[in-house]
Amino acid sequence: MRRLVTFGRILREAGLEVGPGRLQDALRALAAVRLDDRDEVYHALRCTIVSRRDDGEAFDAAFATFWERAPGGELEHRPPLMQLEGGAGEHEAPRIDGPQASRHADDGRRGAPGEGDAAPQAAVYSAEELLRTRDFARFGPDELRRARALVDRIAIVSPARRSLGDRPAHDGRRIDLRRTLRQSMRTGGQPIERAWRRPRSVPRRLVFLVDVSGSMEPYARAMTMFLQAAVRAGRHVEAFTFGTRLTRLTPYLVGRDPDRALERAARAVPDWAGGTRIGENLKAFNDVWGRRALSRGAVVVIVSDGWERGDPSLLGSEMARLHRAAHTVVWVNPLAGGPGYRPLVAGMAAALPFVDRFLPGHDLQALESLAAALESIPATRHTAGVPRRGVAA
Amino acid sequence: MSDTVSDRGTGAIDELTDALAARAYLADRGLATVLHVALALGKPLLLEGEAGVGKTEVAKTLAEVLGARLIRLQCYEGIDAAHALYDWSYARQMLAIRLIETGEATAAGETRAERLHDLFSREFLVRRPLLDAIEHDDPVPPVLLIDEIDRADDEFEAFLLELLSDFQVTIPEIGTIRAAERPVVILTSNRTRELHDALKRRCLYHWIGHPALEREIAIVRARVPGVPERLAAEAAAFVEQLRGSDLAKLPGVAETIDWTQALVALGQEELDAAVVDATLGSVLKYHEDLERVRDRGLQQLVAEAKRRVDA
Repeated sequence: MRRLVTFGRILREAGLEVGPGRLQDALRALAAVRLDDRDEVYHALRCTIVSRRDDGEAFDAAFATFWERAPGGELEHRPPLMQLEGGAGEHEAPRIDGPQASRHADDGRRGAPGEGDAAPQAAVYSAEELLRTRDFARFGPDELRRARALVDRIAIVSPARRSLGDRPAHDGRRIDLRRTLRQSMRTGGQPIERAWRRPRSVPRRLVFLVDVSGSMEPYARAMTMFLQAAVRAGRHVEAFTFGTRLTRLTPYLVGRDPDRALERAARAVPDWAGGTRIGENLKAFNDVWGRRALSRGAVVVIVSDGWERGDPSLLGSEMARLHRAAHTVVWVNPLAGGPGYRPLVAGMAAALPFVDRFLPGHDLQALESLAAALESIPATRHTAGVPRRGVAA
Repeated sequence: MSDTVSDRGTGAIDELTDALAARAYLADRGLATVLHVALALGKPLLLEGEAGVGKTEVAKTLAEVLGARLIRLQCYEGIDAAHALYDWSYARQMLAIRLIETGEATAAGETRAERLHDLFSREFLVRRPLLDAIEHDDPVPPVLLIDEIDRADDEFEAFLLELLSDFQVTIPEIGTIRAAERPVVILTSNRTRELHDALKRRCLYHWIGHPALEREIAIVRARVPGVPERLAAEAAAFVEQLRGSDLAKLPGVAETIDWTQALVALGQEELDAAVVDATLGSVLKYHEDLERVRDRGLQQLVAEAKRRVDA
């Protein structure tokens, strides 16, 4: 019994939430199996304690430690395997002060794209994946306020879709037998007043894929704020970031306190301000999350400048895959805010045929128009596959 | 494994494994242990895994082993209490109202008001799977399979949560119905979305993955009667290779079984590239995946599968 409680503590250190209820179940499960059989003990504990597949690894590591040391010993100190969270933060990668460094001075709100030479400058990639964290929460108070107010808006006006379920409505097309019958009791069993139902509208899933590579950094910070509030506002929003690798940000962004959520998110993203491989990341997204139908029927918003370091043809084919599954694909490109912008970058050009809406995202106003665009996505029909070129201001 | 065991649960898991195997379901040790624990604790079991790894089949086979009735609730988007729990038979109620109108039904000395009240009695209740599982009079509690819960909406999950916590339902017109003996509950999810933590807390959890080659061969041989040993092994090895490659949709055990059945129907004793080409559609269901695998060269893949079997 005491050992089990200790085990619970090891697990908690490994980042698994184990409440007393679960431990109690685990105890009962142990009573049903042979205690000297490692497999049985393992599975009995695992099925009571682990409730999502991603936690399995942490559990396995904790169990291995626990089982090895089980005979009697104190399990006080933290085993080396347990450094699952925060692992990335402890690596101190060499910091590269490239051209981006000077752009950090920008407040992240308005970057270079207004100027003619902005694009080549943004094209400078950091040579390696920069495993370091950056503090999201360094906005001025004014921007912070504006960004939050904006996010409240997107929370209310998310795109809708028709549900299979229906709801009572005066102008519906299907008869509501239950209510009709109830009402007929008033009129002696004559169904004089008929009641109707119509399809319900439910929020369509909204998936954000945000580029956090070096060239996108000034915008990515603002976008992450935007994501945080969107995720907090509704369970139908999923957020991912990508640079050299894909990170699912949603679980880090939930919670009531936006500052702490942003902090958690900053820690969770290992490739903040690194290089970009958009095609590979989209492939990872399609393979893992697309296969789980996360993108099916969703509105997918990609925020990136389209500077692809990898193979543009891979980006094209993965965009095609994404476009087939999704309801609408929106591409937000901060560089598109500049006058006379043309999607000449190879990556952007490869992706465009599969983009339904193409929008700028260089400032708060552009984010506002993004919210408006998302709001206007129709509930049923697929929007035309023809990309909207240029800028809808 | 060891003989120096305490008496609790001794061999129960092996027995369960054997009983499942006798009905052509080959559970690995993990799954058998979890099933045993779920039965011992009387808790719902949530099974997650890719499509086609045998989640639904577990519930069916377990019901057979227990000699229990299987009650299946297939979830879909928009499912609600009227589909899952109970509904009223409106057509019959309407008819009854007509009969009351014409006075035919009041012969037994009942007043019209009483008859109208009876409209919401058990006689007019349509029992859906969940009510059926709670209010059963089977000698053995039924196995309730709630299939693909991830397809249902959040609201339904919340509703289910309430049901799974105390196994009772309140029907306003009739009263509270409580399960005398709790059904064995198995939920499955393809993990198209993450389920609520609250629901998960109520359940034991197990992830079913693709089986190892040896086991898959055994499963195919158990499921496809009369399959040549060689063919079963090669087909399983071939599918396992496909799983290692870059596909939009990985084939599950269900696909291996379907495919082997097709091959047996064609009278194959072993794999050859031509017949694989003709039947590959029962393994891979996406055009791109078919193209990709054909591009890699079926001849070579078949040869590799044979080599694995020989090794």
